[in-house]
Amino acid sequence: MRFRNEFPLPDTDWPPTREFWAAAARGELAVPRCDACPRYIWYPDGTCRFCGSHTSTWTAVSGRGRLFSWSVVRRAFIPQLAADVPYVAGLVAIEEDTAVRIVTCIVDCDPALLRVDMPMRVVFRPLRFAGVRGEVTAPMFVPA
Amino acid sequence: MTTASPDWGFPSDLEDVSGEVAIAGVGEADHTKASGRTTKQIAAQAIERALADAGLTPRDVDGIMYSPFDGQQFGADDYRAHFGTSHDMWVSTAGGGMVWAGSAPHEAALAIRTGKAHTIVNVFSVAWATQRADMVGGPGEVHAAELFKQNLEVPFGWFPQPVYFATIARRHMHDYGTTPAQLGAIAVACRRHANLTPAAVLHDKPLTLEQYLASPAICDPFRKEDCCLISDGGGAYVMTSVDRARDLRAPVVEVAGVGVGNSKTRTYWAQQGDFTATPQVFAAPGAFRMAGIVPADVDVLACYDPFTIVSLMQIEDMGFCKKGEGGPFVEGTTLHFDGGRLPYNTHGGMLSHAYVLGIAHVVEVVRQLRGEAAAQVKDAEIGVYGGYTGPQASTLILRRR
Repeated sequence: MRFRNEFPLPDTDWPPTREFWAAAARGELAVPRCDACPRYIWYPDGTCRFCGSHTSTWTAVSGRGRLFSWSVVRRAFIPQLAADVPYVAGLVAIEEDTAVRIVTCIVDCDPALLRVDMPMRVVFRPLRFAGVRGEVTAPMFVPA
Repeated sequence: MTTASPDWGFPSDLEDVSGEVAIAGVGEADHTKASGRTTKQIAAQAIERALADAGLTPRDVDGIMYSPFDGQQFGADDYRAHFGTSHDMWVSTAGGGMVWAGSAPHEAALAIRTGKAHTIVNVFSVAWATQRADMVGGPGEVHAAELFKQNLEVPFGWFPQPVYFATIARRHMHDYGTTPAQLGAIAVACRRHANLTPAAVLHDKPLTLEQYLASPAICDPFRKEDCCLISDGGGAYVMTSVDRARDLRAPVVEVAGVGVGNSKTRTYWAQQGDFTATPQVFAAPGAFRMAGIVPADVDVLACYDPFTIVSLMQIEDMGFCKKGEGGPFVEGTTLHFDGGRLPYNTHGGMLSHAYVLGIAHVVEVVRQLRGEAAAQVKDAEIGVYGGYTGPQASTLILRRR
């Protein structure tokens, strides 16, 4: 199977997630909010799974949330991650809607100190991968 | 949120097919590390063995079920070319391994009831050990290719499946107090069964709980032994009406119940409403209702087990213990074939037998109910397969007649 040369960098032009990456480049965490109910829509596939509405608006959120769960990844499952292990990949539930779990990296802390449900805040860092040209600014999280 | 909340999933509405069809023949291809074989060659060997087991000729099979999932599966044209026939075959792409290894008998029963086919083979094979070097993240490739995952998960290194399920395991540990030693008990039971099963890839490699606990994490809290093998192999089983099965070689093993459950968040595990559950909570109740039994009646269980935590969650979600009590439940020898309360993956499962995505689990359950298994459960009459893909789960209840 063929993948983009930039893989595993995100395709910042792919329409469904373009606004997520554009917001990150501005230093914002953005998630589409349903126009018909108070919920946020994640992943942004255009349909609210709570009310079924098909219209939503990309909305900047606070960047505060809680650590839902994580793994300390010690093996590089793809060669592009070889320079990054060990790293912490995990899920942060945003405070505006805890059903929205942002997949992210947890950075700038000792993994041994991580606890489920601990408060987190967003930071913006470049994604770079071994053997891949370019970088993309991405929302990552640190303990608040 | 309660575990079976409609907020995150729902059961499929299935017609009652209890007692209509039987699994009359089972076959496994050779399960190996990288072998240089193709997916279709492996499938052909599994079908040949299933036909021989049933005592049928290639022309006796007039229906074939497979999965289109990787474009390499063995279909009707492959069947006719391999066996040198030109006969018409009913075809369904709702077959194969994973969840479909459990739900195919329902589809087959409806086809046999309506005369579309009389005798149907379901087949599944993989050559992923051979193909692994050319795949992105091995069996993770299908997930890397999915664009929401490619653009919102993979860039953060939340990929492939071992990382997803390690994250689920950590949350399960937090919510319910599950321990590494409890996950280890699952790995050890499966390995012990593989050690007794000559066809198992890890037949010659023992594993103790001490060895499990002493091994390093690859993606915390998972050790290597929490994760399934990657192997070449496959299996097939032949279904026909219970009446016709009575005239065939093998003891009759009937399909007593089938259930299918669905997750609204499909393959996006990160967003599943109940993060530490499987769609078995939606699949199992319908299957047990159809079969007219309860989980306590089950003599042997086999679940699709890519990771120890997926075994633990399905055992809970199918009702063999209360949600959250799976950890204490599986401790010690609960899952062992010889006197355990719930003999489990008695061939070794995907952790220790072969990563053939559940088709060999169904083969094993049938053998158990015939009394032909290597690690045979005494007097096994009712066996269950729990199929899983993430988006869906299936429960298949088989009963010796």
